[in-house]
Amino acid sequence: MTRTDLRNLVKGLAFVSPWLIGFSIFLATPIGLSFYYSLCDYPLARPPMYIGAQNYRWLLHDPLFWRGMRNTAYYAAMALPAGMLVSLGLALLLNAKVWGQGLFRTIIFLPSLIPAVASAMLWLWVFNSKLGLFNHLLGKIGIAGPQWLGADWAMPSLALMSVWGVGNTVVIYLAGLQDVPADLLEAAEIDGAGRWRKLWSVTIPLLSPVIFFNLIMALIGMVQTLTVPYIMTGGGPNNATYFYTMYLYDNAFRYVHMGYASAMAWIQLLVILSLTGIAFWSGRRWVHYQS
Amino acid sequence: MILFKRLILALQLLTAAWFLLFGARQTQTIPSNVIVVEYWEKWVGAEADQMRLIVDDFNRTVGTDKHIRVRYLSMSKLDQKLLIASAASVPPDIAGLWDPQTAEFASLGAVEPLDELAARHGIDARTYKTVYWDACHYQGKLWALPNTPACVALLYNKAIFRSSAEKLRAAGLDPQRPPRTLDELDRYAKALDVIDSAGRIRRAGYLPMEPGWYVDFTPVWFGGSLFDAKTDRFTLDSPQNVAAFEWIASYSKRLGSTAMVEFHDAAGGFDSPQNSFLTGEVAMEQQGPWMANYFYRLTHQTPWVSTIAETKVPHERENELADRRDNCDWAAAPFPSALPHAENVTICSVDTLVIPRGARHPDAAFEFMAYLARQDVMEKLCTLHCKSSPLREVSPEFLTHHPNPYISVFEAISASPNARFAPQTPMWEQLKKELDDATQSVSRLDADPRAALASAQERLQGKWDRQRRIDTLRGSAQP
Repeated sequence: MTRTDLRNLVKGLAFVSPWLIGFSIFLATPIGLSFYYSLCDYPLARPPMYIGAQNYRWLLHDPLFWRGMRNTAYYAAMALPAGMLVSLGLALLLNAKVWGQGLFRTIIFLPSLIPAVASAMLWLWVFNSKLGLFNHLLGKIGIAGPQWLGADWAMPSLALMSVWGVGNTVVIYLAGLQDVPADLLEAAEIDGAGRWRKLWSVTIPLLSPVIFFNLIMALIGMVQTLTVPYIMTGGGPNNATYFYTMYLYDNAFRYVHMGYASAMAWIQLLVILSLTGIAFWSGRRWVHYQS
Repeated sequence: MILFKRLILALQLLTAAWFLLFGARQTQTIPSNVIVVEYWEKWVGAEADQMRLIVDDFNRTVGTDKHIRVRYLSMSKLDQKLLIASAASVPPDIAGLWDPQTAEFASLGAVEPLDELAARHGIDARTYKTVYWDACHYQGKLWALPNTPACVALLYNKAIFRSSAEKLRAAGLDPQRPPRTLDELDRYAKALDVIDSAGRIRRAGYLPMEPGWYVDFTPVWFGGSLFDAKTDRFTLDSPQNVAAFEWIASYSKRLGSTAMVEFHDAAGGFDSPQNSFLTGEVAMEQQGPWMANYFYRLTHQTPWVSTIAETKVPHERENELADRRDNCDWAAAPFPSALPHAENVTICSVDTLVIPRGARHPDAAFEFMAYLARQDVMEKLCTLHCKSSPLREVSPEFLTHHPNPYISVFEAISASPNARFAPQTPMWEQLKKELDDATQSVSRLDADPRAALASAQERLQGKWDRQRRIDTLRGSAQP
């Protein structure tokens, strides 16, 4: 290494040092510590005490841990496909050259700008079993609406509500749709492809990297669901909407079991990594990158 | 380009210089011989402002004499912040908690025992009502001092009783007085219910889940308890507790769980003119003394509500107590017990003051806590908060001039030998979660009371046994 190389290296490191220092102090160290704490009993006001893998063993026998897992999986199984399909459908509609295109795009995007707490309060009233909008409209056609946030309907209701905030995903799809080459669509049209054939055989394959990206982001988001159900149902009724992250939060900040909560966080990370791994593995079959 | 870079640099330097010269700085200098006591309080809003008046009084009087200045900071989620601050060795000198948290914070070693300091200031069991004094103890040690307390009574709407007098008489009940036994309460409730043709509740005589703040403690009125300190076991599935939860379920069975949920969903917020007791949609409810303050404030905002509003004179405290009571369309009475001959049964809780472990000025901090234990100071704060007093001694003026004309009812029940407080266990938060889940599932008729309590008991006891094993490993079963 010459003197110039060394000088450049020092300069380069100096320039990235704010990020490196920040990453080390605020991310890498807490991540490392959280793994250590996951092997400890750590009630915060006392020093952590090493107990090996005991937290992980206890988790396996904790009914609320499994309840949280099941609830999260159930929610993801409904909200993920619904969100993906609705956002893709909306993006395709909003990509059409029609009058008021900008206005429609704004309307679809607006809900995603509303803070989660505000939208949760709003939807609490929409779902209200006596005075809510849904049951009022259902009543108009002679249907007695259900208790939307009752034990049976709470999870589908939350999944339905999640579709309301797909604006961000729609914008990403719209950006992806702009990259679909017009010449390919024209060539398909010349070959006699109709609207559906063009969508299925040209647009979707070319959009598959964007779909894949949105899928990964949605997966991570679903596993970490917390704010809206915490405000709307608090995990009830009878733990019907008690998500994994709620239990993690309760253990960390309500029961002050930082070690137990850290173990839960690491299991959550493993779940996310596994799901992402499966998505990448399956992506080899259906994600097409333009060379 | 170089000129541009220099211009940017100059601008940055100028901004930095401006902040240094004119930026935020301490406006009040505190003499070096004055000890600054940091006091963090969990109250926000009106209660926080009222406590600030007391802090200001202290700083002006005793604080000035003893060279102590209390710096008061109100914040939400104080318990979490206190633990984090303690872990970082920067706790405040005083913190405001709730009595059920005493055991948790004591067992974590997060607060200082106060026995010595209290004895030095002449504060002992004779200072406070037994229930509040005991609620500040855990495993024989004093960990907190009472701040303002709470206890629960039956609030009933006299106007509804008057307008439903015939129905009540037809059911063999006296419309001039509140129910005195739990069986009577059920009969009054049934007579006062108004159900429409679709089965919807238009008015509920009584609903265990409305507002439902104390429904977890229903076993208290059945002679039950939630934890047995002698055997170190939770007792959620005891026969008394099962009976209490069966009573909760009986209302859902009678009125229909769907109708009850719909009613609850449509009920207005507690601190709003749509409060269901205020609007007359609920004729009787379990509440604390502070409701009087809400009634005064909210009824003046709601001229269309006539059932509760003081009809003749606004709350002029110089009026005779009897007149003030007559002017209210609501009244308070002890919540009836399921046990024969058990009078003045209630559940009490108390806001507490603690000295966190590692506090820099525990002696000065206790000076403020002792100041608050003075009868005149405590009565001022309790009057502002519209609560009863935690002190054993209460002045006649406190009873006659209190904003709640029924404060003597709350004084009597909190001084009663049948006054209970939340079990002192480090597992309080988990216990609360289990009880909340159980009451929810039982009131919605999703689960049988016995089964719900049995599974809650199993989970909770399992966690407690696990915690005990950890404590043994740490060698710290005792705080």
